[in-house]
Amino acid sequence: MTTSSDRTAPDAVQTDLVQFLTRRTGKDWTADDDVFGSGGLSSLHAMELVVHLERTFGVSIRGGDLQKENFRTVQRMSELVERLQTAGDGGTGA
Amino acid sequence: MREAVALAGATVTELVGDRADDWDLAGELPRDVLRKLAEAGLLAAQIPARYGGPGWNSTDSGEFTAEVGSLCGSLRSVMTAQGMAAWTIERLGDPAQATRLLPRLVSGDTAAVAFSEEQAGSDLSAMTTSVTVDGSALTLTGRKTWVTAACYADFLLVVARMGAEGAVVVVPRTAPGVQVHRIGDPLGCRAAGHAHVWLDEVRLPLDHLLGGGRQPLPLLVTTALAYGRMSVAWGCVGMLRACLAAAVEHAGSRRQFGRPLGDHQLVARHVADLWAGEQIATRACEHASRCWDADADDLGAAVVLAKYVSAQHAAAGAAAAVQVLASAGTRDGHVVARAYRDAKLMEIIEGSSEMCQLMLAGHALSRR
Repeated sequence: MTTSSDRTAPDAVQTDLVQFLTRRTGKDWTADDDVFGSGGLSSLHAMELVVHLERTFGVSIRGGDLQKENFRTVQRMSELVERLQTAGDGGTGA
Repeated sequence: MREAVALAGATVTELVGDRADDWDLAGELPRDVLRKLAEAGLLAAQIPARYGGPGWNSTDSGEFTAEVGSLCGSLRSVMTAQGMAAWTIERLGDPAQATRLLPRLVSGDTAAVAFSEEQAGSDLSAMTTSVTVDGSALTLTGRKTWVTAACYADFLLVVARMGAEGAVVVVPRTAPGVQVHRIGDPLGCRAAGHAHVWLDEVRLPLDHLLGGGRQPLPLLVTTALAYGRMSVAWGCVGMLRACLAAAVEHAGSRRQFGRPLGDHQLVARHVADLWAGEQIATRACEHASRCWDADADDLGAAVVLAKYVSAQHAAAGAAAAVQVLASAGTRDGHVVARAYRDAKLMEIIEGSSEMCQLMLAGHALSRR
């Protein structure tokens, strides 16, 4: 998924995440749906989501970046990935 | 198995010796044993080398956990608590917190993680323990139940509500407002230091809030529990190995009706099922550890599967081992008697078998 500059187009991040969530929940997703709300991602898959983001987009999501605000929707997660990739060192994680 | 893992196995085998029976009966582990293992980094062997830890992968750590589990379920439970605390700090803590706390867990200190409450067991969304922030300090109030290893812990990681989200607070055992009440008569893992923990307006600096808090509660709980489930699952493999060894030794040497017990078909079936259970649990754990080490997409399901399968086989296998050893194994403290009680607890903690079934069913049904 990553480009030569290790940055991923926001649209590509969102497409990937919508596919991930659809596979896990068996229902359709949009970029603005509440990820942890009713009918959303189960706790079984919550850690998988973080691991998937890290592996697919080459970022490290630790500490304060794990706050709910960053995971509320696909849109927010794609913003998080963009910010961490821009930071260039794989995020603020240790 | 790598040399370091084999060496660690020999170290812990020597440290435990033949004392696990006495520890179970006394309901307490010697502090010097815990300190020695903690100083060697062996209570949480997956702590990365950059924090001074052994930096083992999940597969190696799992094999070592099984080794400890075959010797003493209580000691393995303390390892589970320490490893879960370390993993939670590594994932949820910011770099400064990880740098401050993780080296402590490989130099002698021990930690425990507090999830459950009187009205919030499987349903952790019913949790009422809460943390509020006021200027540069936080205040934590609540009552936690059945905190494994709390009696030995230098600090506790307390899972709490923070407004509508979740948070983990690092609480020194000696902080004002903290009370640790030992549970005197647990069914199993009797020396694991289970306790109820009361937190009455515990005030701490803000940097005791891992990653600033406000994480999604399901994410926070699953992250911590994932490590705990792996550790419990591998610990169950160890219990199965200890039970299998005891049953094989007894069935091969004890003679009744003119031949070894193992030549009696109904006894032989117990031995076969025990061996099958040990193999199945091992394979499930190996698969989950490979998923863990590869950050695989199906990690969550693999971890729950390993915990569910291993705990069920440990409970069935321990019961079979007691049956094979009969009067020889029915003395409290005996390895199969301990496994019989300890394994039952493994079907309850870090997600009961029924909760595991619900999660696995949900996983299967979502693939329609």
